[in-house]
Amino acid sequence: MTDTSVIDDHPAVTDQLAVQVRGLRMAFGATEVLRGVDFGVRYGEVFCLLGPNGAGKTTTLEILEGFRPPTAGEVRVLGLDPATQAAKLRERAGMVLQECGFPRQARVGELIEVWRSYYPSPRPLGDLLEVVELTEVRNTQVRKLSGGQRRRLDFALALAGDPDLVFLDEPTTGFDPEARRRCWAAIENLRGLGKTILLTTHYLDEAERLADRIAILRAGRIELTGTTHEVATRAGLATRISFTTPSALRRRQIPPPDGIELVISGSQAVCHTDNAAMTLRVLLAWAGEHRLGDLDGLAVTAPRLEDTYLQLTGAAGGQADRA
Amino acid sequence: MTRTIRLAGRQALLEQRSFWRSAEYALFTFVFPLMILLLIGAANVGSHLPGTTIKNTTVFVPGILAFGIIVAAYVNLGSKVAVLRHDGVLKRIRTTPLPSGAYLGGLLVSTIVTALLITVATGLIGWLAFGAVPRADESLALVGGLILGIVCFASLGLAISSVITSSESAGPVAYASFLPIAIISGVFDPTFSGLPSWLSRVVAAFPVKPLAEVLQNAYAVRPFTAWDLASLALWTAGGACFAVWRFRWQS
Repeated sequence: MTDTSVIDDHPAVTDQLAVQVRGLRMAFGATEVLRGVDFGVRYGEVFCLLGPNGAGKTTTLEILEGFRPPTAGEVRVLGLDPATQAAKLRERAGMVLQECGFPRQARVGELIEVWRSYYPSPRPLGDLLEVVELTEVRNTQVRKLSGGQRRRLDFALALAGDPDLVFLDEPTTGFDPEARRRCWAAIENLRGLGKTILLTTHYLDEAERLADRIAILRAGRIELTGTTHEVATRAGLATRISFTTPSALRRRQIPPPDGIELVISGSQAVCHTDNAAMTLRVLLAWAGEHRLGDLDGLAVTAPRLEDTYLQLTGAAGGQADRA
Repeated sequence: MTRTIRLAGRQALLEQRSFWRSAEYALFTFVFPLMILLLIGAANVGSHLPGTTIKNTTVFVPGILAFGIIVAAYVNLGSKVAVLRHDGVLKRIRTTPLPSGAYLGGLLVSTIVTALLITVATGLIGWLAFGAVPRADESLALVGGLILGIVCFASLGLAISSVITSSESAGPVAYASFLPIAIISGVFDPTFSGLPSWLSRVVAAFPVKPLAEVLQNAYAVRPFTAWDLASLALWTAGGACFAVWRFRWQS
């Protein structure tokens, strides 16, 4: 299943679920952090739990990793119950926590070697170093690594046991663009190995770039699940159609198209629609009628994740920051 | 079981390597006690305990043996575990299938190795520089005392690690919590005396003086008491219980 040869378009994706979460609830005292979370992660896919700080992402991960028993709900990870089978789970799942330290005086290669010894069938050292691009610093002491390098060492340690599933909790928070780019490359490499990856982030571009599917978690509930495109569409957002404002229209020499709410702001004419094909036909017929040709600068933009996310998390404002 | 032992050995090896790579640990654990041994030892050459023929250095050298064990087992292990906890290394270990016993066992083995090395270094220098050698017929008692001392102060080290609240304060707290007691226990001064009786009783309640007395008996004829052994045993048990009760994988 973990064939490392050339992989085109994630053939490892199957309908079986690597992670299954149903009705998950978690309360700390009177504070409800998770209020009925449901989602599933398929084998071989990169699944992203996206949400603002305090949405409950880390708590969800901690439950899946077997660090906390949930208050209620059903959880299966690689077919195991993390609350009671944590030891078994840890042989097959790699975990990158949001923050955790290294023995500072250990050398990179040496540390990975020790980590490999913890697992029944570890990945080869050279292979691990390559995946996270740390081959050059294998003899460097951990305390001398940069933040980005340490994060990639986190990945290498999580991958040491050749796990089927990797948890990544906010893998690039606080990094500069170059460090992020290299972390992303390392995550892409993990994906290339056919690993199932469950990652949390509050960065949209990260989710959009890395994830096959996304679940938006807000205030302890999953708002939406699906591919980037599905999430945006299901949020009920309109497709945006824009084109360069024809000069005849600007000078009011021709009437605007019928039945379309066209907003003209300087050189751009924009409209939003739930039915892009229909609107396009109307627009092009109108353009033909007035000899405007194919409309310069015509662009059809599907609703983006960012729009969805802002609409979902921005609207209810303060609530999202709880817990 | 064999797997756990193998993993513990591997962990101990990593700890030892890291220890010798860190100048501050190696310096404070080794250079500090040995420097005190040479400096104070030199000041005591030729003197005898008042009213006896026992050379000061024969009592002083085993005192420093006790000091070295305390530094290696108590200060070192205590501050090490505190730092590992506050830096999140223990938390990371929990994400792996490594049995807790193998990890903590590895730390303990590494501590024992360090304690034995400092003991050998102190003993050798004590012999070469001051001619202090253990009594041949007490070698078993010496070994027993060393083992008891290492076990006792390692358990106290694990206990103190749970009290330390940050990586930065680990070393200072560990040192500050025993140095005053070591001083009034007479570890650095063979002729140390004249404490008010209540303070002597306080000192006797701590395990530093008992360990020093057990080791001093193996060098010079200065019999220790049953209380010394009982004290060490009680502190070992108390330290171990507290360590187990308060142990946390993360801060």
